[in-house]
Amino acid sequence: MVFLQIYGTLRMMLGGRESVELPCYEGDTVGSLLERFQAEERIAVTHKLIDDRRMLHTGTIILLNRRNILHLDKLETPVRDGDVLALFPPGAGG
Amino acid sequence: MEGRYARQRLLWGDDRQRLIGDSELLVAGVGGLGATVCQIMARAGVGRLHLYDDGVVALEDLHRQSLYGECDLGRKKVVVARERLQAINSTVEVVIHEERIGCGFAVPGGVRLVADCLDNYEGRFALWDALPDGCRFVHGGVQGDRGQVLTLVKGESQPLSEVYAGSVQPAGAIEVSPYSVFVIAGLMCGELCRVIGGAPKLLDRFLVVDLVDLSLSFLDV
Repeated sequence: MVFLQIYGTLRMMLGGRESVELPCYEGDTVGSLLERFQAEERIAVTHKLIDDRRMLHTGTIILLNRRNILHLDKLETPVRDGDVLALFPPGAGG
Repeated sequence: MEGRYARQRLLWGDDRQRLIGDSELLVAGVGGLGATVCQIMARAGVGRLHLYDDGVVALEDLHRQSLYGECDLGRKKVVVARERLQAINSTVEVVIHEERIGCGFAVPGGVRLVADCLDNYEGRFALWDALPDGCRFVHGGVQGDRGQVLTLVKGESQPLSEVYAGSVQPAGAIEVSPYSVFVIAGLMCGELCRVIGGAPKLLDRFLVVDLVDLSLSFLDV
């Protein structure tokens, strides 16, 4: 299982759930996991995170085990059993 | 003046009060978060405050920036802030810097504690880059009815620019409620006092505040 933690507006879209456990299969990546999650939930989540060219949007950071996936292999970063994946849209103002 | 801190000394004791009085805090940005952070820390009795901002008070600031009023419109924020802070607590030394924090920024010597109250990522990353190793950095951010607080230590924690990699400033003015600014600023000050006392609770850990569903959550980084 991968533990998906959700924050901010994304949490509202998912009925207020703070986290979700997702089954993880051989060869799964951050991108494939999120796409499967969206298909199973039938909620348009990934368009908040990824554009049509599979580039990450800038309003939400995606952390895998505390590391921003932009410093890993982005959406192609492999995920494994027990990983913690967080979707966090930080407040930008001060 | 002996009784100024009486109520908080009951809470955290004389040792903590001395540590606060001996501390020097750089407040980056004296807008929404910064105006309230420097006010609370002055009331708490911090020894010296360095205030950085190059802005002037505008009408759209007044709904959330607690140090300013209509009579201050058009005046430099750091100048007004120093006046108000000295009226609140004349024992605090307030050093003002009319400067926008950006590339090439230099932290005054002796500063080992920073409150990041900036409203843009470019400034935040420049501020982080300028910190000396060991400097403690309490970050706050707010947008809409949500916000976050995070403590990092330069040289030990992940760099702020890595945590926020890829984040780009939203175009135009950022929506924000007046009360969310006060909540986040208050939480930042609680953490600043704990950092000064040697017991931070948000080291390498976001506290994510959502005033829409009234939730508090943690996120480790």
